[in-house]
Amino acid sequence: MRYSKKDEDADQAIFKVDRSSVFQEARLFNTSPISPRRCRILLTKITYLLHTGERFPTSEATSLFFGITKLFQHRDAALRQMVYLVIKELADTAEDVIMVTSSVMKDVAGSGGRGAGEQEVYRANAIRALCRIIDGTTVQAIERLLKTAIVDKTPSVSSAALVSSYHLLPTARDVVRRWANETQEAVLSGSKSSGFSLGFGSSASSTPQGSGMTQYHAIGLLYQMRAHDRMALVKMVQQFSSGNVKNPAAVVMLVRLAAKLADEDPGLRKPMYTLLDGWLRHKAEMVNFEAAKAICELKDVTDAEVAPAIHALQLYLTSPRAVAKFTAIRILHNFASIRPAAVNVCNIDIETLISNTNRSIATFAITTLLKTGNEGSVDRLMGKTSAIMADITDEFKITIVEAIRTLCLKFPSKQAGMLSFLSGILRDEGGYEFKRAVVESMFDLIKFVPESREEALAHLCEFIEDCEFTKLAVRILHLLGTEGPKTSQPTKYIRYIYNRVVLENAVVRAAAVTALAKFGVASKDGKVDPEVKKSVVVLLTRCLDDPDDEVRDRAALNLRLIQEEEGEVAERFIKNESTFSLPIFEHQLVMYVTGDQSTFDAPFDISSIPIVTRAEADAEDRSLKLRSTTMPTLRAPTTPGVPRPSAAPSAAEAATSAAAAAQQHAQQLAAVPELKPYGPLLKSSREVELTEAETEYVVTAIKHIFKDHLVLQFNVKNTLTDTILEDVSMVATPADPEDEEQAPGLEEDFIIPVPKLATEEVGTIYVSFKRTGEESNYAITTFTNVLKFTLKEIDPSTGEPEDQGFEDEYQVEDLELTGGDYVVPSFAGSFGNIWEQVGAAGSEVTETFSLGTGVKGIQEACEALSQSLSLQPLEGSDVVVNTATHNLKLFGKTISGGRVVAQIKMAYSSKTGVALKITARAEEEGVAEMIIGSVA
Amino acid sequence: MSGFFRRIYDWLLRMFWATEMDVTMIGLQNAGKTSLLRVLAGGEFTYDSIPTVGFNMKRVQKGHVTLKCWDLGGQPRFRSMWERYCRGVSAIVFIVDSADTSSLPIAKDELHSLLQKPMLNGIPLLVLGNKSDLPDKIGVDELIEAMDLKEITNREVSCYAISAKEETNLDAVLQWLIGRAKK
Repeated sequence: MRYSKKDEDADQAIFKVDRSSVFQEARLFNTSPISPRRCRILLTKITYLLHTGERFPTSEATSLFFGITKLFQHRDAALRQMVYLVIKELADTAEDVIMVTSSVMKDVAGSGGRGAGEQEVYRANAIRALCRIIDGTTVQAIERLLKTAIVDKTPSVSSAALVSSYHLLPTARDVVRRWANETQEAVLSGSKSSGFSLGFGSSASSTPQGSGMTQYHAIGLLYQMRAHDRMALVKMVQQFSSGNVKNPAAVVMLVRLAAKLADEDPGLRKPMYTLLDGWLRHKAEMVNFEAAKAICELKDVTDAEVAPAIHALQLYLTSPRAVAKFTAIRILHNFASIRPAAVNVCNIDIETLISNTNRSIATFAITTLLKTGNEGSVDRLMGKTSAIMADITDEFKITIVEAIRTLCLKFPSKQAGMLSFLSGILRDEGGYEFKRAVVESMFDLIKFVPESREEALAHLCEFIEDCEFTKLAVRILHLLGTEGPKTSQPTKYIRYIYNRVVLENAVVRAAAVTALAKFGVASKDGKVDPEVKKSVVVLLTRCLDDPDDEVRDRAALNLRLIQEEEGEVAERFIKNESTFSLPIFEHQLVMYVTGDQSTFDAPFDISSIPIVTRAEADAEDRSLKLRSTTMPTLRAPTTPGVPRPSAAPSAAEAATSAAAAAQQHAQQLAAVPELKPYGPLLKSSREVELTEAETEYVVTAIKHIFKDHLVLQFNVKNTLTDTILEDVSMVATPADPEDEEQAPGLEEDFIIPVPKLATEEVGTIYVSFKRTGEESNYAITTFTNVLKFTLKEIDPSTGEPEDQGFEDEYQVEDLELTGGDYVVPSFAGSFGNIWEQVGAAGSEVTETFSLGTGVKGIQEACEALSQSLSLQPLEGSDVVVNTATHNLKLFGKTISGGRVVAQIKMAYSSKTGVALKITARAEEEGVAEMIIGSVA
Repeated sequence: MSGFFRRIYDWLLRMFWATEMDVTMIGLQNAGKTSLLRVLAGGEFTYDSIPTVGFNMKRVQKGHVTLKCWDLGGQPRFRSMWERYCRGVSAIVFIVDSADTSSLPIAKDELHSLLQKPMLNGIPLLVLGNKSDLPDKIGVDELIEAMDLKEITNREVSCYAISAKEETNLDAVLQWLIGRAKK
């Protein structure tokens, strides 16, 4: 009791610090003589304020700062340390901080005369403060000081100097780079300093003896200095990996560096792998883990390569320390997402972890097993999972639900068991986030696994009977509205929905009314069952008495639409399945909002947003989900020491940018008046490079397909210095047909040349062709492309181009127009149905290919194929389970809307590479052949 | 234990006899402020001292008086900050390179604009013509003329010619400064 009383008082004393009173107190700094103790307390208050987010305005910060500079007259070491801490904090806000430079330099140099030992204590602080107050122009003045400090034999000073150099690097790169030798020396001397006894008061006791942290800092700095010189980095890794770096953190840094090098340069992969493999047996645990993680993250790691890493992790699974177990299982868990088969060997050890008392470990163990398990073991695992579900937190439950969701998409045949599991946990206690994860998993099941639809809907109906989350109830009602009418017994759901109208709050009631209306407009086969319609009308009429405006409005509107004589209006309003392309919509809105004032003159034009059908949106959604769940954040978060220069954009970003790119193309083309009459853009290919990136003229091409036209867009960049290209055009000639029947059916329409192209400028040439022939003429050909231009050199004295230029030609690589360019990936729930339907209506072609040994494994082949054919993989067939054989199922639509399905059977052996048997079916004549042709 | 008594003794000394005073040393760059301070504090004269970035602080002990000398950088970028360090000091020492007549007008302007500041009213000023050992230096009278010192009325003003290198007249400077302490 007394304690708590005392604490309250202490609270008052410490926490009742406010800015203005501290600022008033700061007069203390100007008094003479100085009282170190009182000044220190005041400085502490200032740091406290700064760290709790208080900001001093510039004028106050400046006068505080100058007050603090007065404290340099006192030699008290503890006071001086505090002074440096505050100077570091104020350095960004106060003005003229350069004022203390000389004084700080004196401390750094350590030439203080009396009490050198005492001064040693704050030398490190002084160095750290120095790099904050210095600006780019004065760095040279402190160069000598820092150089000596880097090789100082006191670890704290050396570390401080290294870290400060690290921070100075961006401002004064050239100066800092001259310190490489000293830094190198610091790495090597760091290992010797163990056992070196420091007689310097508090710094000695606070620095762990011979921890070698200096090595860590020095390696970090060296890396920053050499980040752009790969050979130097390789040398550095190899030099330091031979055992002279003792500090585990420093070795971890080397591990990351080695992994990065292996990732960037395939030639370095082998030597780096050898190093990583060696580090698996390093005596520090953290190095082992880092090395194992790095190996698991290597690109296209082979089973043989990863085996030692998995083995090392497996040993840690039985470690008595929870932390080691956790780390090991977490790495395995991540790796299991991409290569479940490789983790299989640990399954026995992982199974024992399921019952671990540490729930984090148990959760990871279960999710790992869910990933590595084959279809047969899923049911057993589900049983175990339900057992622990009760006593883990929501956060872990969500992880498990996510794992199960991926599993559903992977093994659609197991949906029944998973569905009952999901519905089971849906009934458990849980917060919103958890419930949402479960409901979304069920949504996905309904969307992508059609067999589960009715049962899942039934579970959801039951859930909303007693659902405390309005948001979820609304979403479920919406889903019931869209999916319910398509089921065999729509009336069943009407009862559930109407219950909501009676029992729930206004928001849910409104959603329920809209859902009800959908049942009234359409049921199975697009025909309205008059009975259903009648009862819906009755129910909606009752809603007209609702106390809430929105509910009444919706009911009235829907009633009117349902009773409309011809169903067209109702169809359009209630059954509308298409939606705006959301990524583009978002992008456009962001552009609109962030634009300058003038953009607000015109209202936002919603008609510019492309509308996608539900199927297309689903296709994108699904591939996104699979990718984002199977490829978790495996890329190590960038560490400050080893930033990855080009972090791979996440799958989600890639998809958004693809959509945005399509939108951009459409806009760009719309701006060309000659292309206006062609109508809407149907499909744009990805950008193809026609030259190497370092040639004189860099050319890339994009193929745009219109209804009757084909437009080739060439982006040309002039990289020659001091030249100007004029009248740049591209002569694109379709290959000569071998016989008359195969005539490409393309007539050149016009060329829009680029009038002038200066150095480093990018110009766009359009070459338009008319697609002659009938409706479904999908011309396939190869264009030979010759760039024609007039080259003029720029007179270096005047900067004006010379009058006389000479004409020149430049041949770039050929551009292929393939079947894939006419096809848009599309999504469908059941591959089997479409396969039969299309087979009955159209033609079928089968052919076998061999991709040779250039393609590494089936996964790569799958990605390449779905991309070059421009078809959407269905039923999770893009995830390869068996590395020897695989069956890829693809679906898409041609630009005129005909369906195309393809089934690719693949076999892989390391000797012969990937062998394919493709069977393509298409509704339109000739399309199947065309598709197969684009594989070759 | 002896350290403890030593501290008590020091404390007593400070309590009853010791006086501390603040002195600010300003002047254009390369006038010799840092060198002078070093010599005053008993150090060696050096030819190639680096320009002061910001300020230096040194204590000079003379008898029972401790002078806390703030030696400020003389480059243009620091001149605006002189005033902050001149507030409330016992004396301002303005150092001029007496062998560099071309810089005298600027020095005069800087000095007079500083003394305009109301916060600094009444603070005694000592102008030192440094480098009197050099052949083409100007004398004290010429310096007084060039610096327009007669114009300054609201405070005590003195002017000496000194040489930090030859250590001429430094005792007079110290005596003058200590004299300002007894107020």
